[in-house]
Amino acid sequence: MEKYLEILNYTIYGAAILLLLIGLYGALTKKSLIKIVLGLSIMDSGVHLLMISIGYLKNGTAPIFSPGHENELAKMVDPVPQALVLTAIVIGFGVTAVALALVIRLYKHHNTLRIDEIKNLKW
Amino acid sequence: MVGTPVLFIVIPLLAAFIIPLTGMVWKNSVRIIPGLVLSYMLALSVSLMWHITETGTVVEVIAGWKPPIGINLVFSPFSGFLATLMIFLGLLVWAYSYKFKRNVDSEPALKYFILLMLLVTGSVGIVLTGDIFNMFVFIEIVGISGYGLTSFYTRRDSAEAAFKYLFMGSIASTFLLLAIMIIYSQLGTLNIAEIADKMPMMSNKLKVISLIFFILAIGIEAEIFPLNGWAPDVYTQAPGPIGAAFAGIVVKSAIYASVRLVYTMFDLSGALDLFIVIGLITFIVAETTALRQERLKRMLAYSSIGQMGLVMVAFGIGTKEGIFAALFLIFNHAIIKSLLFFSGSYLVYNKKNKFIKHVNGMGKYLPITSILFTIGAFAIIGLPPFAGFWSKLAILTAAADSKMLMLIAIILTVSILEAVYYLRVINRIYFFPKKKSTEAKKPTLNALIVMISLGIIIMVIGFYPDLITGIIDRAATDLMDKTGYIKDILTINN
Repeated sequence: MEKYLEILNYTIYGAAILLLLIGLYGALTKKSLIKIVLGLSIMDSGVHLLMISIGYLKNGTAPIFSPGHENELAKMVDPVPQALVLTAIVIGFGVTAVALALVIRLYKHHNTLRIDEIKNLKW
Repeated sequence: MVGTPVLFIVIPLLAAFIIPLTGMVWKNSVRIIPGLVLSYMLALSVSLMWHITETGTVVEVIAGWKPPIGINLVFSPFSGFLATLMIFLGLLVWAYSYKFKRNVDSEPALKYFILLMLLVTGSVGIVLTGDIFNMFVFIEIVGISGYGLTSFYTRRDSAEAAFKYLFMGSIASTFLLLAIMIIYSQLGTLNIAEIADKMPMMSNKLKVISLIFFILAIGIEAEIFPLNGWAPDVYTQAPGPIGAAFAGIVVKSAIYASVRLVYTMFDLSGALDLFIVIGLITFIVAETTALRQERLKRMLAYSSIGQMGLVMVAFGIGTKEGIFAALFLIFNHAIIKSLLFFSGSYLVYNKKNKFIKHVNGMGKYLPITSILFTIGAFAIIGLPPFAGFWSKLAILTAAADSKMLMLIAIILTVSILEAVYYLRVINRIYFFPKKKSTEAKKPTLNALIVMISLGIIIMVIGFYPDLITGIIDRAATDLMDKTGYIKDILTINN
């Protein structure tokens, strides 16, 4: 039983990679611009989950030195990935907003959201 | 001490957020403030360059957290050289587009200058930062302002080009985060100097994986061959001066990032050969594609990609001569390609599709612009006595010193293609009759001043390359000195 629980600790990495691949698949194969933006967003979430899971400790505590908890350094979760993931989420939000604005512009210009019908520019 | 490197990031960022406010009070401040800020930054970076020749690299510690815990900015001869070059080009782009949309209204101009300031902030930040996550943030700043500038004109197909760029850019940012997390999970640090110091502790497998993710991510911004599908569209759809900004500022910062990774962070021996291979493929494919382009800006874009490939090749040679040649080429490409974009935009001004045939007979109607375009074209082909000759010669001698004779043969052969498509345009400018219907637009005074000064710089560097080689030589020595870089940052005590 213990052995199986051990595997569970790694499922979070698997979940993160799976999300990343789902997002990549969506972004590369879907024809609708909205779905492509969704795919990019899911891909981002996958990486964010991976980042968080790297800093995770089982039964860890918050990385704050409060009175009575001075000697718990080994039990504290790593705060750096959390700070990074906050930044990355904000950036991802910004990029998604710009992407959706561009989708609106594309729709007004071409009257379609299908990417295979928007091809004024090519090699 | 004249000023600190952090000002290069704080001041343009502040200016970008202040100009909408001052623009409400005095409309012209939207155009004037960016110029003042950029000239101040140029003065500061030149004096800092002067300062570091005496005292050595300046390392700035942000918020009192010493490296490797805090973020640090490094103004070394190498990063300082690139930062100065970028700020100079930013100033030129500003001067060229000073009268941008002057007759229409101030709303588009406001957005344009805000985004331009953000673009400069991000690019200079990439070059100066000593922290890979910070580098990621700056790459995203460059990316988002780049998407905005690309989709600037609503009536062109600009949104399509911007979406392409955004699609690739956001996949790139995902890969970049992955690579950063692989390194962080293995070494527990984000500081470039400490990563370089601890790199031997990482297993070779993970090193290769993270380097591949890094190259994939940064290669998209650096226009490496299979990842550069966005570039020609962006160059054609963005406003004219922004083409110069992309070629001169954004791409240079991405090249810096990839070089910093391979030379300082990773100690993989095969990485330099990888540079030569991707560089050569990029160079050959881009120059052959440029040959069959019908639109002027697309041709310039492919030529720009090709030059970046050549820069990668020169960095890949790996000797000090190779780095010297690469940096010289970066400098020359920045000034020459800006001149070509600036003068080229006037040659095909207000034409619907900006075909090359629209330049027919412009030599008579726009004599100065045509001559400047010709100077730029001759310089980029590498004809003496223009600046481009010296950098091409430096690459060939560096390759010869390393006994890479095949490389010389390939570079010279592909250069013939380059000569063909540039001379074809020049032939059209001077020896083809002009169509009656087409109307030439005279360049504005500020644009003319910028183009003429660029032309003069190209000629002066062509006759006296010694003016610049000293600085480039110091920068090349600095890049080779990996242990010095690590020591400068990790033993700082202020």
